[in-house]
Amino acid sequence: MNWMQKFYENKYKLLLIFPFLILLAAFIQIGLQYSTTGDFVNKGISLKGGSTITFPYSDSYNLIQIEEKMSATFQDEEITIRTIHSAGKIIAVAIDTNLEEEQKIANVRDFLETETGLSATDFNIEVVGSSLGESFFRQTATALLIGFLLMGLVVFIYFKTLVPSLAVVLAAFSDIVVTLAIFNLTGEKLSTAGVAAFLMLIGYSVDTDILLSTRVLKRLELPIMERIYSSIKTGLTMTITTTVAVLVAFLFVHSEVVKQISLIIIIGLLVDTIMTWIQNVGILRIYLERKEHKK
Amino acid sequence: MTISKALWNWRVIFLIFCLVLSIIVINPQFGGSEGVVIRSILPNSTAANSGMENPSPNLQPLSKEIILSINGKKISTEEDYFTQLSQLIVNQTVRLETTKQVYTFLAPETIEDIGVRVSSAPTSNIRKGLDLEGGIRVLLEPDSEISPEDLDTTVNSLKERLNVYGLSDIIVQSAKDLSGKDFIVIEIAGVTEQEVKVLLAQQGKFEAKIADKTVLAGGKDDITYVCRSAECSGIDPSRGCSKTGDGYACSFFFSITLSPEAAERQAAATRNLIPERDGTNCYLNEDIALFLDDSEVDRLKISCDLQGRAASQIQISGSGIGRTQQEAITNTLQEMKKLQTVIITGSLPVKLNVIKLDTISPSLGKEFLNNVIFVGMFAVVSVVLVVFIRYRKLKIILPMVATLISEMIMILGFAALVGWNLDLAGVAGLIIVAGTGVDHLIVITDETIGGKTETNWKQRIKGAMFIIFGVYFTMLAGMVPLLWAGAGLLKGFALTTIAGLTFGVLIARPAYATMIEKLLE
Repeated sequence: MNWMQKFYENKYKLLLIFPFLILLAAFIQIGLQYSTTGDFVNKGISLKGGSTITFPYSDSYNLIQIEEKMSATFQDEEITIRTIHSAGKIIAVAIDTNLEEEQKIANVRDFLETETGLSATDFNIEVVGSSLGESFFRQTATALLIGFLLMGLVVFIYFKTLVPSLAVVLAAFSDIVVTLAIFNLTGEKLSTAGVAAFLMLIGYSVDTDILLSTRVLKRLELPIMERIYSSIKTGLTMTITTTVAVLVAFLFVHSEVVKQISLIIIIGLLVDTIMTWIQNVGILRIYLERKEHKK
Repeated sequence: MTISKALWNWRVIFLIFCLVLSIIVINPQFGGSEGVVIRSILPNSTAANSGMENPSPNLQPLSKEIILSINGKKISTEEDYFTQLSQLIVNQTVRLETTKQVYTFLAPETIEDIGVRVSSAPTSNIRKGLDLEGGIRVLLEPDSEISPEDLDTTVNSLKERLNVYGLSDIIVQSAKDLSGKDFIVIEIAGVTEQEVKVLLAQQGKFEAKIADKTVLAGGKDDITYVCRSAECSGIDPSRGCSKTGDGYACSFFFSITLSPEAAERQAAATRNLIPERDGTNCYLNEDIALFLDDSEVDRLKISCDLQGRAASQIQISGSGIGRTQQEAITNTLQEMKKLQTVIITGSLPVKLNVIKLDTISPSLGKEFLNNVIFVGMFAVVSVVLVVFIRYRKLKIILPMVATLISEMIMILGFAALVGWNLDLAGVAGLIIVAGTGVDHLIVITDETIGGKTETNWKQRIKGAMFIIFGVYFTMLAGMVPLLWAGAGLLKGFALTTIAGLTFGVLIARPAYATMIEKLLE
């Protein structure tokens, strides 16, 4: 038995500080984000309104020049240019603007047509009204909350004991909060699909917790550490396969939407390993110890 | 021996049954497909007059009418189709053979006049959504509260407008969000023309007024027929095009037939007007003004001989502008088409605002589909690799891969059966299902091979299914609120995920458990 294993087995209460420190740091990040930007997440066009024009990239474009010319031509508008990468190469260019009126957007597209030599049908244009963006954000946030409560209910009905159920819910909650904070740090802007990814995270985060709780609470014939290790073996296989699949998607897919979903799930899965195998394990062990004590 | 035992079990048989059913529904055309599929037929076009009809939107992709040859020359791609058409000589007889019948017509002046929109023939019954095929997605919000009946009327009128305009491959449906607000979602595949948007957002309240009195309104009550053929519609020959400031302006005209009541109303309104002579011309002292959504589109003088007469045919006119004369003509004709469309379909019960408009480039859509297929296969191979490193047994890996693939096929089969469009959201849903699929198969595997020897297989599988159902229900809990959130834009994603998870948990994953039990026992 090496020292790491010994530490993991014996100092589980001390280790428990670690996930809570991360959670605290996440809260601080989100708080800072809120106080500086007025929002606890960096919202993209689909959540705050505006338009995005996307077109395929070619090496012949001088993006810096296009950007300079564009900001000179459309001085009064908020226009930012960014590139979409796949497998290390630029595959598309996206222009985010605060414009919602058709004519103004058409002007930008016409400008880009002349600059790039592309035809009108080569452009993807997404326009979202600001009222829709806001209501969309509120609604998906509500959906996240409802989904979370329903999940808690399911877990409680399933295990019928308070502390282990709460531990599962806490793990999922910590996972979502910490993932959000890390997502903020990446500087990415959240889109509607990204919010959906957070909802998916509930499921991906809870599965390892349910596996752990089931094995620890129901396989009483084995010693506790053996139950935990068997869960870790299965759980890590699950996490690794999912991470690998999602990583492939993140690196090679051309769609920004799928890329963002992948990014959020990768972060979530990594955070989840800490939340499941340190936080949830720690709480379950304390719970079992107290239960033993009472007998 | 063990393999046949593994397959001969009701769970596995049921899975195979569902798979076969899915493949029959999807009906993949492995040898590629022939011809080009008819997407829509423009009204009053050469094709429409020769008897060609718009495909019903409810048809399975493979049952749609497909153009096979033109004048005996085989058509395999969209390019072939346009090449053949461009070689036609005006008034040459054209024999166009489809999967239904042979149509004959005389070649018109331009390809557009034939009036057929085509796209490459489908290779399966899976409907590709906008993200994969390109097109326009519009989200409309009623300006004020609207009753369910009015919402229904609006949806139907919009459908009719698009059909009259010449688009049939469309989805128009109402949606609600969590706060009970109504929306209308419209998807038009394969079209990127922005002018369609105007057609949708316009309330289309058409009125003709004489001395501020409405004598005529759009819709079937007042107007029984709107002429759209060349003899009685088009660029107005008497007004034509003229140069204005920095561009050109043209006028259009088309005639409409009034109902007896509307004609009588018009007669009554002109009866007491005063004739004014101007040389040889005689006009009444009030004009007839045409209004669309309360703004004036045109104003015409009424000639004296019409005074007090219940004329059943009148001419409607209007204008359009452009930077060049050609552009002005095109825009004018487009204005005419829009006005004709709203006059035919009448006014909507409520004003609509466009709150979201996505234009997806067809070329980017096609590229995205190829990319997704590539990424999907790459992801599967990497997952198999990880699983192989962990278990190193083909008896585990092969059933696992087979189960995962069959889950995907079942989702696609279900999508084809109920007529879902597979778009970006659907693809994301597929990824989630595949992800949980692998996770669940790993749980089943570990629970069964790693279980204590004194417990029997049945109990071990039961233990595995306990965990799987727990995860299934929590996943459902996360997805269900998405069915309603945000104008139903995430509904496709939630539905695909829920359907996929359900098939996986009820059909495929138990079958996998049985398979490895029999193979490893």
